[in-house]
Amino acid sequence: MTFSLLHATDFADRLLYNIVPPLKAGMIVLADRFAYTAFARDAARGVDRRWVRELYSFAVKPDLAVYFRVPIEVSTDRLMARRVKLKFYEAGLDMGWSSNALESFRIFQGKVLDEYDRLVEEFGLSVVNAVGSITEQQRTFRKLVSQHLQIEETDEQLDEQLA
Amino acid sequence: MNSLTSSSPEAANTIRPGNYYGNGIPYLPIDGYPGKIIAIEGTDGVGRSTQIRLLREWLEVQGYGVIETGWTRSELMQPTIELAKASNTLNKLTFVLLYATNFADRLEKEIIPALKAGFIVLSDRYIFTAMARAGVRGVDRTWMRNLYGFAIAPHLVFYLKIDEKTLIRRVLQSRGMDFWESGMDMKLGDDIYESFRAYQRSLLREYTSMADEFGFRVLDARRKVDVIQDELRRQIGAFLAESDAASQPASP
Repeated sequence: MTFSLLHATDFADRLLYNIVPPLKAGMIVLADRFAYTAFARDAARGVDRRWVRELYSFAVKPDLAVYFRVPIEVSTDRLMARRVKLKFYEAGLDMGWSSNALESFRIFQGKVLDEYDRLVEEFGLSVVNAVGSITEQQRTFRKLVSQHLQIEETDEQLDEQLA
Repeated sequence: MNSLTSSSPEAANTIRPGNYYGNGIPYLPIDGYPGKIIAIEGTDGVGRSTQIRLLREWLEVQGYGVIETGWTRSELMQPTIELAKASNTLNKLTFVLLYATNFADRLEKEIIPALKAGFIVLSDRYIFTAMARAGVRGVDRTWMRNLYGFAIAPHLVFYLKIDEKTLIRRVLQSRGMDFWESGMDMKLGDDIYESFRAYQRSLLREYTSMADEFGFRVLDARRKVDVIQDELRRQIGAFLAESDAASQPASP
């Protein structure tokens, strides 16, 4: 609970200082994770789903929300390849499911991914298959954003920009 | 926002003392815990801490285990709250959420373990202070009630009620008016006296509006310390006798 509420406090602070002012000025705000991360992570920790959604009802609804989906094996492989040391909470070590960080990460993030799948349906998140190459993902991502902003661009133009 | 209507009139009927108000904390079931929560509410300067000190002594003499918990006393959050207050970066939403975090920490780390172990938890203020402060600042009432849906309904809530005039004299006599207690963040005016008066008046209105909804036992805080204490002891004594009798197996 405290974990969930601390994050909500941090989010409220960023919302009011960093998100709302540029929106009012007509700018585009790119948010690297949003309230959905909290919905998934907190529910995976056993917090009541409805309560978390109500908690974040002060948040603005994003015009476009994109979820980069990878299977758990891919994400662990990527992290291991970079020899990232798993963070305590990211690995869900606070839950006491396993004392092995990687094992705990698998269990915890597995639950988080299940929660995301619920969210995709509930909030209509656009899904990008994040298994592919960065270029492929970026292409899909740009298409989604262009469609949303009604920017007319052909595949060729997109490819040129990425070349 | 800002509506003065109380959230749901049927809420009072569904409150079960010793259980969560809302859906609670799913990973912490508290059914059947033997402890009790007794909350003493009221604005600053009504004499809560004096009454709690006396109650504690009285309860301990009778053999009850007692712990005290108070507002912003969480080990985790107190330094953060003090820092945020001092740096003037808080807005009403972050203010509300920091207090809720503090409460959640105390609930999980102090209150629930004490209830499980059969202690009497004397709470110097409970969630109602947060609700009153947020209500005055125009935070949505339904949202606030949902936010504190993880809180446990106390077995008894005493509200030490005072009027504005008596309160002002008491506060001035003791430690004077401070920035937050005067609601200076609400920019009601530059004059701290006027601001204190206006702010405390609306706070009192908020408490009154919650009295029915949350089943407050209202006590007149203008009376002498020992008169109030006697009344508290009488009501708490009756409640404890009743619940002790209920938990004892019938003698053969």
